Formats: sequence, structure tokens, C-alpha cells
Amino acid sequence: MLRDRFNQQSLGVPLNTMVKEARILMVGAGGIGCELLKNLVLTGFGEIHIVDLDTIDLSNLNRQFLFRQEHIKKSKALVAKDAAHKFNPRLKLEAHHANIKDPQFNVNWFRGFTMVFNALDNLDARRHVNKMCLAADVPLIESGTTGFNGQVQVIKKGQTACYDCTAKETPKSFPVCTIRSTPSQPIHCIVWAKSYLLSEIFGTSEDESPELDHSEDSENAQEIEKLRQEAQALKLIREAMGTESFPQLLFDKVFKDDVERLKSMQEMWKTRKPPRPIDYSSTVQEVADAETRKSEILRDDQRVWNLHENIVVFRDSLKRLSRRLQSMKSTSDLDAAEPIITFDKDDEDTLDFVAASANLRSIIFGIETKSRFDIKQMAGNIIPAIATTNAIVAGLCVLQSFKVLRGDFSSTKEVFLSPFAPERLLSSDRYREPNPDCPACSVAQTRVLVDMSRATLNDLVEDFLRLELGYGDEFVVNTETGPIYDVEETENLSKKLKDLGIKGDSFLTIIDDDDENPRVNLILNVQEATTDLEDRPIKGLDISGSPSADGDRPASPIPRKRKSAVESNGQGVTGIEEVHPMANGIVGIKRTAEEALGHESGEAKRPKTTVNGANSANGTSVNGEHGSALIIDDSTDGAIVIDDD
Amino acid sequence: MALCMNRLNEERKQWRRDHPFGFYAKPQRNAQGVLDLKTWECGIPGKEKTLWEGGLFKLSVIFPDEYPTKPPKCKFVPPLFHPNVYPSGTVCLSILNEEEGWKPAITIKQILLGVQDLLDDPNPDSPAQADAYNLYRKDRAAYESKIKRIVRDNPAP
Repeated sequence: MLRDRFNQQSLGVPLNTMVKEARILMVGAGGIGCELLKNLVLTGFGEIHIVDLDTIDLSNLNRQFLFRQEHIKKSKALVAKDAAHKFNPRLKLEAHHANIKDPQFNVNWFRGFTMVFNALDNLDARRHVNKMCLAADVPLIESGTTGFNGQVQVIKKGQTACYDCTAKETPKSFPVCTIRSTPSQPIHCIVWAKSYLLSEIFGTSEDESPELDHSEDSENAQEIEKLRQEAQALKLIREAMGTESFPQLLFDKVFKDDVERLKSMQEMWKTRKPPRPIDYSSTVQEVADAETRKSEILRDDQRVWNLHENIVVFRDSLKRLSRRLQSMKSTSDLDAAEPIITFDKDDEDTLDFVAASANLRSIIFGIETKSRFDIKQMAGNIIPAIATTNAIVAGLCVLQSFKVLRGDFSSTKEVFLSPFAPERLLSSDRYREPNPDCPACSVAQTRVLVDMSRATLNDLVEDFLRLELGYGDEFVVNTETGPIYDVEETENLSKKLKDLGIKGDSFLTIIDDDDENPRVNLILNVQEATTDLEDRPIKGLDISGSPSADGDRPASPIPRKRKSAVESNGQGVTGIEEVHPMANGIVGIKRTAEEALGHESGEAKRPKTTVNGANSANGTSVNGEHGSALIIDDSTDGAIVIDDD
Repeated sequence: MALCMNRLNEERKQWRRDHPFGFYAKPQRNAQGVLDLKTWECGIPGKEKTLWEGGLFKLSVIFPDEYPTKPPKCKFVPPLFHPNVYPSGTVCLSILNEEEGWKPAITIKQILLGVQDLLDDPNPDSPAQADAYNLYRKDRAAYESKIKRIVRDNPAP
């Protein structure tokens, strides 16, 4: 009672009543989540649901204050609920130890909440909750921290910008050429050790994937055989695992033979320092001294190891990992998938192996070597998480939530916490307007009730989209995996929707390809009909076509794309531009967004030219200037910057 | 993800409406009949009046979730004998490198035309496989006769 009286005095009776009646969802019970839950409970929010799929780890305890030593390995959601409930036992708290992307958390479930708080640590889950909140039209308070920086944003469909209204920085990845052939920084060697070497030896080799099953019915069989031999070399060495000669075979392959071959491509080293291969048998004699200090070296993880020390650690960790993999193999089922070892920053054996291999490669290429402690940070993508930042951001979330409760979205703010900015610690901006080209919120949304036992794609395309909603000839129906129908892709029409992988709670995206006046994308949220739908197998729940004035065809209830948005932005909705192949075969692009907007991007300091003149200078020409042609490897290889959970 | 899908749908539409002669590009179809927009099967013809004329080479184009912020990965299937193609078939080309020539505005048509250009105009500064590179550097005649053989083995229909 006493606590409520103070809340009433602070918030005022009307707001305090709204707080007590609110039904809240909090996604994530980690760094921000623990702080936020404490705040929500003390503020007196009536009912709070907590979703987190994670369990508590030792490394969480320095900042996630709802958790204690004895909670390690227990569910974050459940422990956080129990701990916070004691602060205010009159509230209703419910914990779900589950993934927010699970089907049980569908759009209808989201619709049951007054508002949702995101306290997440990854892009994927944030995007998902953003999408669900837009579909359910529930306000979302989005927050995140990275080290000393933090941010809070209020998302309300149609009123403020959503999470996807601005492009997000994507994790950095490295060109495969840099990693495999021409490293120039410590991180390149670390990525090589972690994502290439470790997985080739202890994981699944890329070269064993079935797509490389070369056909050899022709004259090029000899050539293909050679490529195959190259790919098989590591595999053969892999088979020697556990034998006496294994460390030397592997060492000489990756630190000598492969390096020799790279070195033989002289052109590559005209402007770079050529690598110096290391020979195992001649070097290994010199490591005897280091070998005797092995346990001391392994403890010494803040000092940079020298060549000999790295060799000792390489051999020792290789032995430990080989032994582990072999015992995993001997105990695993014959039918089960081949056991593999993957990198984990907290797994000492893999860390030692990656640290030593990366350093040996750095030595070969004349790159600075790093201590194991530094390599752990770089390979594990560790960004420091700071309790104070989380606490400040969690407090800001609650302040914004009061405006949301009052429905006063026009006074919501986007707040930034940036201690190293010159002006002020906390800066706030007016909420941003929704981006009219946003792929997530510039769309129309509706639920459709579907009789799964009989609805076909044709029912959807002809009866619902064409007849009822007034779509024309050209449009695309996409499931979450890809298109199932467009003007040329008609062979699925007779199939039932359920046979195309569509079920209750699936999302379908309808993209209008009309040239003149296309509709905005339409997102259909499929609801499985539980009762028999009398006449039609598909029924719109939120919108339906109404006959137009001329009675000819129904007026479209789906809004059209804003033309100005497409024209003023040189990239249009999707960033595709008009392309003109030039007479000499060089491909050019008409103009980039930067040019259209009148400023230049950082490195592309090209002269301002006429529309056509830009073609040869903008670097997309393949014939004109080669530079060093490179390609990106899988994104998983890069250093990924994550923020705190 | 949504951006990636929107863009790939748009790419597909543009390609359907207009694409260069002799090329093909289509998303892979899965067992259920759904198209996988993130994996395209493409065919690149050798350019006229070059060694490569008359050949057609199969290229797999794989788009990451972050496309078009990040470029797709292009891979010849089976791997192609060429100085700038890795033994795995992956193509090494500046416009496909995020830190170099890649721009989100580059279309599939431009990529395929770019790879076609690369066939007859390899970049010696950026070798990706030793065999093709060394032959190209050291014995041009042998390299050319080998290319002719490869073209014969991969004829355009």
C-alpha cells in the first residue's frame, strides 16, 4: 500500500492507474533486461511477461544483478521472474524460457499486450519483434547498449520510425583473398585460423560439400583431378590425426607448402612483402627450451609469445583437440553425424590452437603477433558490457513508456547515451517519422482466415487478391522463403497452400509489379480457420474489397506507393537503378544515391561528371580498372560486433 | 532480410523484362516448388570474338541475408580453369568485394556482365588458382589451347 502511495504521488492518479492495468511483454532478461525488470516491477506495472531462451552464465554475474552464483545454468527468464517478484509480490509475473521466434508467440499473442520492451542482444530477434509488433499494432520500446553507448527508441506503427526504417550496420566480413592469400593485419590471420584452419581440421570441410562433385566426362578431367587433389590434400592430412606424424604433416602443409605456393605467384608480391615459410623439422629442434616451459607459457596469456612458444602451443593444442575429436568419434553412433569441434572463446583448447596458428601465420607474413588474451577478444568478438550503461538505458525505457501509456506518441523521444560525445552525456531527438520506403513498416498488413484443408494458391491469387482486393496481372506472392507465384511462375497454382509450406501464423508478402501505380507491399498473416468457412476458403479479417463507384471492379483497399518517394530518391524503393551497357561492353550505372543527393561517399572521390561520364570513373567497370579483384567470403567469418544482452 | 527479399524480387522482375542475349539467371526451386531467391543458377556465355566465344559457363550466385549491403558470392559450378577463379569455383572480382568495388546499386545483370568480361581479361594482380595463373603467365599458347578445349566442353546451346 505504502509503495503504491508514493507511485501515485510521483505519477499522478491517472497514469498510476494505467501503469497498474498495463500488460507488458519484456523480451530478453540479460544486461538491460535485469535492470528493466527491476524498474518495471518497482513502478508497479500490473502484469509482466518475460521471454528469454538463454541460461545464466558465470560471466553474466558482474552486471545482471538479479542472478547469483547458485543460478548458473538456470533459465534467465525464470530466475529473473522469481528474483524480481520479491520486490513487489502483488504483481502478476510470468516467465517463458523460450525463443521469442517460437510459433506459440504469434501475432494474436502479441496483440494481448499494452506494450512490448525489447532488451535483446541481436539483430535477428530485434527485427522479429519489430515485425510482430507492427503486425499486431502494439507499441514497442526498443533499446540497446554497446560499451558506454546506449540508445532508446519508441516504435509505433504509422506514427514513429520502426527498427528497420534505417539500414543497420552489418557485421564486418573479410574478402576471401585477404584471408587466404594476402593477410595484412592480425585479425586476418585470426579469422584464417578460426574460420578456415580449425574448421578444415576439426569441423566440416568446405571442399567436401557435395556441390563440388565435379563431373569428369570430358577432356578437362585431368584438370579437375588436379583441383580435386589440391582440395583433398588437407583431407588426407586430417586422416593422419592421432599419428606421430600428424603435427608435422599439418604444419608443413599450412605453414610451408601452401606458403611456398603463394610465394610462387610473384605478381602478388610486387607491392607486398613476400611471406617466409617455416620448415617444421629444422625449427622444431630449437623449441626444446620452450617445451620445458610449456605450462608456464600456457598460463602467460597476456604476454606475446615468440615463434618457439607459438610452435609449442600449436603442437600441444593440436594434440589436445585431436585426442578429443577421436574420443568423440569412438563414442558417437555410427548413424549420427560426424562429430566436429567448433571455435568457442571459452574453450581453452580451441583458443590455444587459434592463437598459436594465427600468430605463426602472422610471423610468416611479417604481421604483428598478439597475446592470447587479445586474440580471445578479437576472435570471440567481445565488446565490454557495462552495468551502468544498462541501468541508465533501462531507466530511460521506463520514462518513454509513460508517454506510450498516455498514447502521447508525438512527445516520445529517441534518446542517445554517448559519454564521449563532445556536447552532452544524454542527447535526445524528437521521434523520427516512418520511412516511406521502409521494407518493414511501409507495408499494408492484414490477417486472412484460411481453410487449410482446401485452400489452393489459385484461391488466394484469383479469388482473394484479384477479385476481392483488385490486384492486376503482375504481382508476386512470396512466402518467408521465396516466391511461389508470379506472372511466369504459375505451376504452383493448383497446389494447396499447406503443400507449399504455408500454415497458421505464416506470413505472405504480396508485391505489386504494376508499372503505373503499384500498391505498397501487402503482408498477409495467415490464420488457420477452426470452423468451416461457408463459401470461400480464404477470408480477409481486417480489410475487404468494396465495390467501386463505377461498379466495374472493386476499389483497392491497399494504398498505392507514394510516387514522390520513388522519384526523389535516386535508388527508388529497392536501390535498383537504370543500367546502360556501354558500346564497349563496360557496364555503368546512371548515378548513385550519393550523387543524386549531392554529396560524395568517403573513398569514391570521383570528379563530378555528367550522368554518362560517371560510368567509366566510378569503379564498377570491370574492364577499365582491375585494382585487385577480390571477393567476399561468408559473413560468418568476419568479426561481428555485438551489443550486450 | 525484408530488404534483401524486396530487392531480389525487384531484380527478378528487371531480369524478366530485360536481360542480355545468351545469359540466363533463375532462382533455384526447392522440393515444395518454392523458389529460393537467395540462390540463383546463372549461365554466362563467352564473349563474341574472344577465345571464350561459343562456351556457356554455369555460375551459382548466392546472396547473403545482408544483400544488397553485402555482395553475393559467385561460384562456377563446376570450378572453372581461370586465373581469378579459386579452386572451389569462387570468383575473385573487385565489384564482388564489399571493401572494394561493391555497391548496393549493382544489379545481377551488371555482375554477370562483369564476370563475362573477366573471362577473357583476367587480372594478373589477383591470382586465385596457381595452375591457371602460372600457365597464363608462362605459356600463353598452352593456356589458350586449354581455354579452347574448355569452351568445346561447355558449348552454348
